[in-house]
Amino acid sequence: MSVAPAQAEAAERVLEVANLRAYYRTSYFGVSREVRAVDGVSLHVDRNEIYGLAGESSCGKSTLVKTIVRAIRPPLTIIEGSVRFDLGGRACDLYALDQARLAGLRWRHLSYILQGSMNVLNPVRRVRQSFVDFAFRHVGKPMPQFLRQVENHLARLRLEPAVLDSYPHELSGGMRQRVTIALASVCRPDFIVADEPTTALDVVVQKDVLALLCEVQRQIRSSMILVTHDIGVHANVTDRMGIMYAGRLVEEGRTVEVIRKPRHPYTAHLVTSLPRIGDAEPRKGLEGAPPNLANPPSGCRFHPRCPLAMALCRQQPPPMVDVAAGHRVACWAAAPPGPAVVS
Amino acid sequence: MFGVLRDLFRYRLEFRFGVILTGFIVAFAALSLASPYPPQDQFVVPPDLPPSWSYWFGTTSRGQDVFWLLTFAIRNTMLFGFSVAILSRLISIAFGMWSGYRGGLVDRVLMSVNDTFIVIPLFPLLVLFYFVMRDRMSWPLLALAMASLGWAYDARLIRAVALSLKSREFTQQCVFSGMRTREIVFQEHLPYVLPIVFYTTLNNMNWSIGLEVTLSVLGFTDIDTPTVGVMIFWANQHTAMVAGIWWWVFFPVLFVVILFIGLFLLAISINEYIDPRSRLARIEGASR
Repeated sequence: MSVAPAQAEAAERVLEVANLRAYYRTSYFGVSREVRAVDGVSLHVDRNEIYGLAGESSCGKSTLVKTIVRAIRPPLTIIEGSVRFDLGGRACDLYALDQARLAGLRWRHLSYILQGSMNVLNPVRRVRQSFVDFAFRHVGKPMPQFLRQVENHLARLRLEPAVLDSYPHELSGGMRQRVTIALASVCRPDFIVADEPTTALDVVVQKDVLALLCEVQRQIRSSMILVTHDIGVHANVTDRMGIMYAGRLVEEGRTVEVIRKPRHPYTAHLVTSLPRIGDAEPRKGLEGAPPNLANPPSGCRFHPRCPLAMALCRQQPPPMVDVAAGHRVACWAAAPPGPAVVS
Repeated sequence: MFGVLRDLFRYRLEFRFGVILTGFIVAFAALSLASPYPPQDQFVVPPDLPPSWSYWFGTTSRGQDVFWLLTFAIRNTMLFGFSVAILSRLISIAFGMWSGYRGGLVDRVLMSVNDTFIVIPLFPLLVLFYFVMRDRMSWPLLALAMASLGWAYDARLIRAVALSLKSREFTQQCVFSGMRTREIVFQEHLPYVLPIVFYTTLNNMNWSIGLEVTLSVLGFTDIDTPTVGVMIFWANQHTAMVAGIWWWVFFPVLFVVILFIGLFLLAISINEYIDPRSRLARIEGASR
């Protein structure tokens, strides 16, 4: 095995998450609780790639991206694992950085569109002030130049400069969403993390906003993690996607392959829940709900709802196994135990 | 700002009346500068005269002109209310914002102090304060005492808002963008809290003036400095109501009621200027 290709491949990676565990640890009146929202997730994102994260609500998607951008607050704590970025030409472990270097990284290199992004604008401050508060410190330009840059950027996103003088409540939901995207991308970051950027929007506006997001991503040549539970969005937008269930990644691969040929029974259910034109057959839902992560089931966390569950599934959690090139799955049924396939 | 105030004046009836009433009282208090007699002097005019052209509000049994005496009394009462309100706002903003934003142990410690102040009975404490201070009592001292007793309710109110703001998305965005705690609290949260602070300021003025009048009427303050309450105290001392000197009591009460109503109207209408959402709904449409 030669070293060169491995290095070339590693250089392509912008983000490398290794065995990340993040729990919500609370202790009230002597009762301690631990919610294992992210439990051993490993993934990587390549340069100029849009990586999708899918899964039901309460599967740990948002917690995962919060830990990826280090926007964590107690009770959320990192138990183990690392998040390594290769941003602005230098590699760094996000959790080893001090606050000053972290602040230098944010916005210029790494930006985060948080969930409920329609509400990231302070309701009592004008949009211009929000831009100044959030982004000005990261640009390193004098104020007039910064404001010109903001206006140019807004024009690129087909927003009039007049929105800068508005209060958030004067804008429609779609406009606010676009302003938020503008806010997150105004410094042309190398990496954007978008947590459900289109959730509260109707499908028409959603399409516009997504197109805009992709356009921005292409224009500024950044990589992106896009979180949404809408498989249709993933099919249209993302290059690769990961499916999360109960705090774990259960399947990951190229979006086309994951949707066309899902290996994990959970993914299969997600995909078959999509409506298709011409198919009048009623959709079958998956029984039950994701488990309580304070007390997750033993073995594979999906086994109580899984139609293919075997005895082994109750005892041992399945490892992530390569089933095809770049396609990994954590399922005993999809990849039976054996020395040949376990990577 | 001027344009907005003009529009408020033009289109908000409450604001217009508030400005007129409060302005009237302020102008009246300003007349104290032109008073022909120092406020402490007695028997400068014939006593017990009813209102007439030469003595508009009549004269007291102590030989003071009620009109000029009242200019001093209203001025002192208003200054007193202002000082209490400003001082106690500083304390309640500091306590409320800090406690709400920091949470955890800080919150628990500050709020237990806060709740202690809420349950302390104010009136007996202020009476006790008078008996301890006696001759050294003055209105700045009383203002200080009342400011340090009158902030706790509003601190809880502000804390509640700060708590809710803390969990909003924009605060998370602030933290993510690397803003310091001080910047988040003062730049992002304070504008949101200000309408409440302003509202409570005017409320607090009304409360402190009311309590000051109560204490003065009973003689538990510095009775040599004329305030509205002190005037009524002296009127009672001279049994003015029994003797039929009604103007000695009537005018101070009338003016303090006008001041109350003026401040109240300002409080309910000025909110619309400070809160951009209601400002938009009501005013900006008119100013553009």
